[in-house]
Amino acid sequence: MNEQKLKRLFAAARNETAPAPPADFAADVLRAIRREKQIPPPETISVFDRLNLLFPKLACAAAAVIVLGVAADFGLTAAGVPNLSDGVSQISAQWLLTPGAF
Amino acid sequence: MSDDAELLERIRNGAADDFAEIVRRHQSRVFAILNRYERDAQKVEDLAQETFIKAWRALGQFDGRAPFEHWISKIAVRAALDHLRREKRRQNEIGLPELGEDALDWLRGDDGKNELDSRAAAEILELAMRELSPADRVVITMREIEGRSVKEICAATGSSSVAVRVRALRARAKLKNALEKLAKL
Repeated sequence: MNEQKLKRLFAAARNETAPAPPADFAADVLRAIRREKQIPPPETISVFDRLNLLFPKLACAAAAVIVLGVAADFGLTAAGVPNLSDGVSQISAQWLLTPGAF
Repeated sequence: MSDDAELLERIRNGAADDFAEIVRRHQSRVFAILNRYERDAQKVEDLAQETFIKAWRALGQFDGRAPFEHWISKIAVRAALDHLRREKRRQNEIGLPELGEDALDWLRGDDGKNELDSRAAAEILELAMRELSPADRVVITMREIEGRSVKEICAATGSSSVAVRVRALRARAKLKNALEKLAKL
């Protein structure tokens, strides 16, 4: 494709006329804008709001952990399994506080 | 009849209906710009609507230092560029449309001195420009078909004048190659 042919192509394309806008185009745009105005903008949620929303869940989870811990302690005690504090005091008594243990 | 500045002031003060007058004043120019990048009349109309809605949303940013016509043209060019990027992805999935016989005859002719109507020319360019990136296409269309200055292209695309000149040269070379390829099909 030589330069002259390319220029002729551009020149011919330059003469193309655009389609005329429909008669009610401006009214359509206005309708679209009105529709857009009716849709409320998305609410912005701050970090504090998020934390507030999250707080009841966090509190429930923490309470559940505490209840499970207490229940496990009672259960294990009832079953005769020595609990952790008994084990620790036993070890201290046998090894750490006995004279000449080391 | 009040000028654009007065109308825009009224719109900013709550007279939203006056925006219809702004649309009526500038719609032909917007359609003409978008028609360079899209052949389907319905899609051109959709893009024109998108352009005016974007203008409406950004009306607060229009400072009135340049004419409204330039500002809306810039929005139209950006809308066309976004459209070309979307279409580029889609075009990779579908085959190329066929050219009309007049367009093919002209393209395959040796000298190109035969008459070529504007519609056939636009068809040929539309097809060849699919080989170009959307940004290349915008620059070459504005420079060679719309006859815009480098300064105007810089304002519309946000590129530097050196970038626009380099892109225009490269895009021209790519377009020539694409046209040669089309002629051989």
